[in-house]
Amino acid sequence: MIADRPGRTDSPEYFPPLIPISLPPGGGSADEGGTVELSSSLRADLLDLDAWAEILTTYGRTMKIAVALTDVDGHVLGKCHNAQPLWTLVHNAARNWTGCPFCISTGLPCTAVAQALRTSRVAMAHDRAGLTHLAVPLLLGKQHLGAIIAGQVFTRYPDPLQLQRVAKGSGISAQQLWNVARKQCPVSISSLQASADLLLVLGQAFLRQRYSAILEGKLAQANGHFRSLVDGLRDHALFTVDATGKVTSWSFGADRMFGHAVAGIVDQNFSCMFTREDVHNHVPEKQLSEALRVGRVEDEGWRIRQNGERFWANVNIAALSTDSSPVCGFAIIAQDMTERRKIVIVLEEARQERARIQEKLLSHVSHELRTPLTAVYLFTTNVLDGLLGDLTPEQHEHLTLALDNVKQLQSMVNDLLETTRVETDKLALEPQHVNLVKLIAEVLITCRANATAKHINLRSDVAPDFPFVWADPARLRQILINLIDNGIKFTRERGNISVQSRHIEEDNDFVRISVSDTGCGISPENCAIVFERLAQVKGTTRASRSGLGLGLYISRDLVSRQGGRIWVESQLGHGSTFYLTLPVFSLAKLYARIFTAPNLEAGFVTLIAVDLGSVEGAVWLDTIPEIRRILERCIHPGQDVLLPSLNDAEQVGTFFIVACTDANGFSIIARRIRTALQDFSASKVKPAISSMTVLLAAGQSREGQIGEVTTQIELLVQTHLVGKTKLK
Amino acid sequence: MENPKILIVDDDPNLRHGLRTRLRANHYDTVQASDGYSAIAMAQKERPALIILDLGLPAGDGFVVLKRLQDSDTLSNIPVIVLTARHADSNEQQALQAGATAFFQKPADNRELMAMIRATLPNAWPVTALPS
Repeated sequence: MIADRPGRTDSPEYFPPLIPISLPPGGGSADEGGTVELSSSLRADLLDLDAWAEILTTYGRTMKIAVALTDVDGHVLGKCHNAQPLWTLVHNAARNWTGCPFCISTGLPCTAVAQALRTSRVAMAHDRAGLTHLAVPLLLGKQHLGAIIAGQVFTRYPDPLQLQRVAKGSGISAQQLWNVARKQCPVSISSLQASADLLLVLGQAFLRQRYSAILEGKLAQANGHFRSLVDGLRDHALFTVDATGKVTSWSFGADRMFGHAVAGIVDQNFSCMFTREDVHNHVPEKQLSEALRVGRVEDEGWRIRQNGERFWANVNIAALSTDSSPVCGFAIIAQDMTERRKIVIVLEEARQERARIQEKLLSHVSHELRTPLTAVYLFTTNVLDGLLGDLTPEQHEHLTLALDNVKQLQSMVNDLLETTRVETDKLALEPQHVNLVKLIAEVLITCRANATAKHINLRSDVAPDFPFVWADPARLRQILINLIDNGIKFTRERGNISVQSRHIEEDNDFVRISVSDTGCGISPENCAIVFERLAQVKGTTRASRSGLGLGLYISRDLVSRQGGRIWVESQLGHGSTFYLTLPVFSLAKLYARIFTAPNLEAGFVTLIAVDLGSVEGAVWLDTIPEIRRILERCIHPGQDVLLPSLNDAEQVGTFFIVACTDANGFSIIARRIRTALQDFSASKVKPAISSMTVLLAAGQSREGQIGEVTTQIELLVQTHLVGKTKLK
Repeated sequence: MENPKILIVDDDPNLRHGLRTRLRANHYDTVQASDGYSAIAMAQKERPALIILDLGLPAGDGFVVLKRLQDSDTLSNIPVIVLTARHADSNEQQALQAGATAFFQKPADNRELMAMIRATLPNAWPVTALPS
């Protein structure tokens, strides 16, 4: 540690003390690079002798003193510039000079360099002969790089006695030494000090300039490396855009992917790489503003090459920011996913193909199984029902068991086929408004026989004014029967099963139906897997194994495809409750299908009422579905909708149609209905068709318009029905 | 009075046999056919009050038989109950549109099938007599 070495002068009692020269303000101790650990190669670069040679030569010539660069230990690096005659004479004569390089008295090392580095100031040293030199520290921040020493001059008249001693040590004649020394012009301390100041400033300035030059060089090199790295990424497009979306840089990979050359794309807006629809929908701007908001956006979608070809790309957009401006642009990395997408599509096709084959096989198998199953069923029931004569009680019992097993086999075959249909998306769902009260009552009738056989109390708790749900009634029935039959299977004799439906307090758009039993319950780990395909719960009774374990799997698929959710809550030994949610039916949902922007543009919505007049008796009720089918055929499917029977309006013979049309369209629909109903022989009634037009408020959002139209139509329907009842 | 006559069309003799026993116990006479071709021939010959028809048949499948029946002046008013192993989803609507009165998937519940036959027959009975 040089700085810790105590400063020494050669002979303090003889020579005047070193004169400290303070560094000029701002010089030398600048902090840049202070925290950077300089590598040895960087140090060597900073003290590159060729670079320093010019400045040192110029300085030496101008100031008429010798000057040289040293390392931190005071060893001269390179040569001494503008060496002074006396010093040259002595040093040429002496071999293996030890000690201070700028002194002529041998043996003692230079203390000026050490002191200069320790104090960060200029230090001065004299040798015994009175030859003086300065040391200027070279610091980068707090790091010592070396020093510049300058001098080899007398600051006062040379001492002949000391010169004699030097002469003796170096083997040169004292006279020769004296002659040279006499001719060497002495320099005053103050001008030496001024030179030192200049040297200090010069040295530091040059050092810093050199430092930044090196850093710039390295940066350029790093940029070059980065550039070649960026361009080396052939499957990724890298480019930057400014805050407005104008392309500012463009990588080779981007060139390859998008087909635009650098010259053609720079300064163009990057929206030219989007599809026309995306540009129309302001997708490019939206992505940039999203990246601006959250910092980074990932998107997958179609992009356009220069030749107009579409390709599927994964795109990452990152906002770029600096200290001075919050966001100055965006870096965009795009990856061509076309191949990967193809693979995904091929895999999906393969999966579907496999499922199709499986379905084909299973549907064939189940078809083949059904035929013998039907024969067994027929023969068993024929005997069991006594068609072939009376049975003994024992025969009857055996045949009943046989029949039970036939039915089990039958439901397994059904489940098997259903499952393959789930997997090939073949289960068609036709959601409509469903009266849960009625549907649950029907389901209970179906399940009652099984429950009664086990003396299980089966009951339901549904409020009579429960809202209609939006579901496929046949599928919903299938799900509920499955849940109740499961409950019956796992509940002991004289247990309870109850079906309830409730509003969901936190969500008005859904209702919840529950089926609870007092059976054996399901353990928590099994609760998670009962809905899985072929779920077989271990360690249960024989009853549970009568089935393929596909019922709940199918139910889950059916519920989720109707927009609901199914789950189970259970405690071992305390029974289970299965819950399912279903969306509430709303007219707004029904209208949303036809109230599209173009349909609403005309500004008219017409409510058409078809009054057939109430007809007494069952004939009329039987024909309702047929009349609905006829009316359904008279309307434009994408534009008009036949309202479901609400508030039992059909019981009084009124059907409503909501049409996105004006009076002209109404007359067409009315004519069609009259003609169609004339052909329908079963209805001997003449329809009274009237219309009520709802004017749309302009300048509202689509949701707002749907909401308003829904309210108005509901009002009109009510008014019409009330008016009709009054007329009666 | 003669019992109403029902034509059973199915390629499985077991089913025909089992169904015949059940129908006879319910006071219906039966005739049988095992393929599409003989089904039409048998219908023309026997003039049944009702036909129970399978869809998967050799020599003209059930839909072909339905169409031939519908196209015929003399046979179009015979009610047809489809009893098949095929799935209802893809076949029921098609069968009803082709003129079938009802659709049952095998094995059909005996009570439901008999109820349907009883409900169908009074309306169709008696079969319109041939002109000659």
